[in-house]
Amino acid sequence: MKAMKRLRQDWVLYAMLALPLLYFFIFHLIPLYGMKLAFQDYRILGDHVWVGWKHFETLFSSPAFASVLQNTIIISLMKIVFVFPIPIVLSLFINEVRSSRYRKYVQSVLYLPHFLSWVVIAGIWISLLNPATGGVNQLASFFQLPSIDYMTSKEHIRWVLVFSEIWRSAGWDSIIYLAAIMKISPGLYEAAKIDGATRLQQMRFITLPHLYSTVVTVFILNLGFFMNAGFDQVFNFMNASVISVVDILDTYVYRIGIGNGQFAYATAASLFKGVIGIVLILGTHFVSKRVSGKGVW
Amino acid sequence: MRRLETSKLAIYLLLFAFTLTVLVPLLNLLALSFTAPGKAHLMSGLDLIPKGFSTINYELLFSNPLITGGILNSVWITIAGTALNLALTSMAAYVLARNEFVGKKAVLFFLIVIMVFEPGMIPEYLLVKDLGLMNTLTSLILYKAVNVYYLFILMRFFQDIPEEILEAARIDGAGHFRMYSRIMMPLSKPGLATLGLFYGVYHWNEYFRATLYISEPSKWPLQVVLRQFVVRKDNTSLIGSQNLFDSSIPFDFASLQAGTIIIAIVPLLVLYPFILKYYAKGALEGGVKD
Repeated sequence: MKAMKRLRQDWVLYAMLALPLLYFFIFHLIPLYGMKLAFQDYRILGDHVWVGWKHFETLFSSPAFASVLQNTIIISLMKIVFVFPIPIVLSLFINEVRSSRYRKYVQSVLYLPHFLSWVVIAGIWISLLNPATGGVNQLASFFQLPSIDYMTSKEHIRWVLVFSEIWRSAGWDSIIYLAAIMKISPGLYEAAKIDGATRLQQMRFITLPHLYSTVVTVFILNLGFFMNAGFDQVFNFMNASVISVVDILDTYVYRIGIGNGQFAYATAASLFKGVIGIVLILGTHFVSKRVSGKGVW
Repeated sequence: MRRLETSKLAIYLLLFAFTLTVLVPLLNLLALSFTAPGKAHLMSGLDLIPKGFSTINYELLFSNPLITGGILNSVWITIAGTALNLALTSMAAYVLARNEFVGKKAVLFFLIVIMVFEPGMIPEYLLVKDLGLMNTLTSLILYKAVNVYYLFILMRFFQDIPEEILEAARIDGAGHFRMYSRIMMPLSKPGLATLGLFYGVYHWNEYFRATLYISEPSKWPLQVVLRQFVVRKDNTSLIGSQNLFDSSIPFDFASLQAGTIIIAIVPLLVLYPFILKYYAKGALEGGVKD
């Protein structure tokens, strides 16, 4: 009876929740259920036909898929090794800036690229890397170095992804480390100074150890997105000359699914990626909770 | 003492060099977009001053229906989309911030499930097709009506508002909707501003769903026009629609491309002071990683 009374009083709450829940139902649950297409053959008319693991068998025996999977892993690994540490170093550097005006300038400029879409960034980088007029090759010619068409070079394009990722996110991602640095008690530095520690020693023995748990948290959170390898970036930096080395799972799903209309096969590829993603996210969530008490959600 | 100063100077210079990698390409494109026709090939990627000042590129761009249409489409999905986002997110956040709400735990669990299990590109595409939303801007507004991360941020914000204020209103006979609209919303302006910027930037930068769902160029948001013109280097669809080849006006593709990029960035620059003020703070408090 008490519950009934509650319900009567709180009907407004349910009404307010109705639209958001309806949204989640239509735009999340229905397509989630639609992932069953991975086990079917798509029919424009009539019911789809169940085909079991057929598409997965094709997928795992396809050399194209093997190369796509390899690209995804290589690009993600390169980003972990070469992009991940940059914001940490950057936060240490910014922390050394004593002039608040200079600090503000550096932060405002370096945060900006985070807010630009990958379409805009690709536009900027295509112009920046232009073999004739682009800034990078202009600079290279100043030092008597040969001009390189980076965007169409299989050798260089993955490095273009690494550097453009640093360009876009290093500034913004340093925020979280800066916040952790701010929380370190100033007393520690005072004491170290009295003991005669240089700034470099303070960085090494006070700041870095205090950043450790934040670094670990951000690292495992990143692992949860390992299979994405930065779809929006690759989608906009990709071109016919370099597709063989930058085609990743999501761009592959797009091409065979939307491009070729192989809906079921593409869904199988996408489900494969999704399952690995879920394992990674759940895994990192529980590891992160244990290590730092902070989960993915 | 001497060594200390050198390392400090090195850090200052390194940071300055890093800011230059952001500023130089942007200023170079700005300069290129104002370069007089026929002189774009004289511009190096490191030049920051236009060779012969001219606004002709912007005049051309703003007389192109794809660009002006793209701007209008983008403004519409940004404004309508953000308004819908804020309305739905804040209502849900209000309900979930009420401890007396029966079923709170179940809904929160449901939302976490939603967050972990993302549907793939193809079923979403087929859903939009089935709903008859292909080639509509509505598809771009609806598909991301509520972001679960942002919902959690606002929920935490609402939870921080003292219960006594709501209690007082309740005694005065206010119902839930009144407490939501007259108390919670006005008291949460900073939180709503933060979320509005999160959502607004997202909509303005939206391009992928638009390439998926919208094939009619007249309905493209600016980012898709930009992608077609600058990234895919499809000059004909843009210039062809204007018959520029027949006109006597000389023009440069590089300058037009630069101008299009600048147009797509300007709204973000205008809002940038607010973005710095609210976005960064909100991102830290919510622990958002995006």
